Amino acid sequence: MISITPIRGAARTERVKVWAGQIELQIRVAGSGPAIVYFHGANGLWWDRFLDQLAETHTVYAVEMPGTSFGDPYAIHKLDTYWDLLLLYHEAIGALGLVRPAVIGACMGGMVALDLAACYPALFSRAVVIDPLGLWLDDMPIAYASLVASTPEKVLQTLYDDPGLPQIQEMLALPDDADVRSQVIGAMVWTVGCTAKFLWPIPDQGLGKRLHRVVIPVQIIWGRNDKLVPLAYADAFAARIANSQVAIIDQVGHVPQLEQPEQTLSALMPFLSEA
Amino acid sequence: MKILAFEQLPYRQLPEDFAGRYDSVVTTPYHELVSREHMHRNHVDFLDEMMLAARLGFDGLATTEHGQASYDVLPNPNLQIAALAYATQSEMLDVALACIGRSLGKSREPLRIAEEYAVLDQISGGRLIAGFPVALSYDANQNQGVPPIETRARFTENRALIEKAWTSKEIFAFNGQYNKHAHVNLWPRPFQTPRPPVWTPAVGNPNTLAGILDNDDVFLYLSWFGPKLTGKRIFDRYWDMAEERGRDRNPYRLAFCQCVAVGETDESAHREYRPHVEAAFRSGLGSIPLSGLGLPGYIDIRGVEFIAKDPGDFGLVPKMRTATYDELVDAQCCIVGGPETVRDQLLDLVRNFRIGNLVLMVQHGSMPRALVEKNIALLAEHVLPALREVWKDEAWVHHWWPKGRGNERGARS
Repeated sequence: MISITPIRGAARTERVKVWAGQIELQIRVAGSGPAIVYFHGANGLWWDRFLDQLAETHTVYAVEMPGTSFGDPYAIHKLDTYWDLLLLYHEAIGALGLVRPAVIGACMGGMVALDLAACYPALFSRAVVIDPLGLWLDDMPIAYASLVASTPEKVLQTLYDDPGLPQIQEMLALPDDADVRSQVIGAMVWTVGCTAKFLWPIPDQGLGKRLHRVVIPVQIIWGRNDKLVPLAYADAFAARIANSQVAIIDQVGHVPQLEQPEQTLSALMPFLSEA
Repeated sequence: MKILAFEQLPYRQLPEDFAGRYDSVVTTPYHELVSREHMHRNHVDFLDEMMLAARLGFDGLATTEHGQASYDVLPNPNLQIAALAYATQSEMLDVALACIGRSLGKSREPLRIAEEYAVLDQISGGRLIAGFPVALSYDANQNQGVPPIETRARFTENRALIEKAWTSKEIFAFNGQYNKHAHVNLWPRPFQTPRPPVWTPAVGNPNTLAGILDNDDVFLYLSWFGPKLTGKRIFDRYWDMAEERGRDRNPYRLAFCQCVAVGETDESAHREYRPHVEAAFRSGLGSIPLSGLGLPGYIDIRGVEFIAKDPGDFGLVPKMRTATYDELVDAQCCIVGGPETVRDQLLDLVRNFRIGNLVLMVQHGSMPRALVEKNIALLAEHVLPALREVWKDEAWVHHWWPKGRGNERGARS
């Protein structure tokens, strides 16, 4: 394994009461400067070097979806529909006191970011979406449900261009202690179960019908070798969002920000600094 | 003690190298593997074999539900139960009909199940046992598209709706999370009053066991995992939980499914059944991808933590795709032998674990009709008489056996 710099991680955790006080949403925060709200993908929040570097110039608010926060797994049961989730996030951004922050969403988080921008056109200043879910092309089905049902080896091969990268192995490393290990496995599996509540079995909640309402500037970033949501979806999103542009990252799969954080940052930093 | 004959409806002509090439659920290619003549014959043989078991004196007949599966081609077992209900009624055979059952975590139309069960109970004059499993993960989630994390909540809500639909004297509105009905007013209602007995097939998940005990239903341990490996832990857990929840030790609140294969002698039984038993486990349960038994969210997070530390509840399952015949027999996944061997092993199991209802699976994988019929006949003649006597000395009342008019000779008008 080549040596990699340690991850700094979040500096603090904000806890905001939402959903009539029923849910305490956890938001990991780091950095200073203009605010960025970050929505994670279908496997939950993993604070990586991409977020570390964003935090060097911005205040990053990385939101944990209800149910995926360690120690509070049953918060997911307080939400029934995807619409509930969007409303809750809207409440949370208000509760954090953020005024027109930028938003970045990856995978499922990209779908959430665009839907919030469609539902609340004045909520964000601009959006970056990285290999987002949310659209469905019949001639190019997204094998999401098959992926969730796959073996861990197949999942790695599907999600990443190079599953052997040290930052991926680092993310997947399990602790030696049997009790902690079983808790970590439980949390990893449960997190995928929580996000599946809004993605299963077809990750299409009708976003395509709402994208015409997205009026803020949108930077679409796509991993050229994404085997889950193929590159053709980048154009499908761009065609439906009036003020959008596409950047393609070479030699990465579905998670460019993990496989190639530097290139991903290079693709979005100029866009963010236009604000 | 009550003894039921149970069959799944596997496609019996799968190629020998099936387990190395295919999964048995969800993605199994139909046209590549199936001849319609064989499939038709399998369907008819299934019904004929079940009728033979009824004629030879089994107390009940049992079926399960699985969609998109080559090992149990019963997407809606109520269709087969309907045929058996009428045929046994015509022949005045007083057998219970156990649909074990319709999966409520899978169903998006639970009132249809309530209606179907009520129809079956009417045709049979009240001989129905209503089975309500949660649903296997692959079936509810992959086949039916239910988000895994909603499976159990659907099961609970659907069960409550059916219970009310069966027993309410008034027309009612139901505003659930998954079911919204302005007027619930089933026609017909079940023949049995207030409703058929409910048996819940499960593999020992403590959450499911708690629900079964709280509802005062029968726990049917529907497992092919090898009772030598899993029996003690699951049954001890069940009886301990029963005691904690104030339930008595009535053996009739427990049912157990066991594969059996009886020959004239131990030696001939092993010779005759070996290839079929091996094929059944390798190409059936063994060829379900493990992830298909518990997609993320289907099992509660505490359950995942538990399994991550101790996968013992699943017995031989993780290696079943390549399990040898000896391993399967040693774990008692299937009890194979001459009549005395099978009888003695079954007697040990039911006495040790306080089993009041034994559900004997009599067809395995590629087993042809003649061998199934022989298995049924030998069981009826040599094994059932001894099993029937168990629990007679303890004088428990069986509260979970159908209480219709029956159809003993002379009972029909």
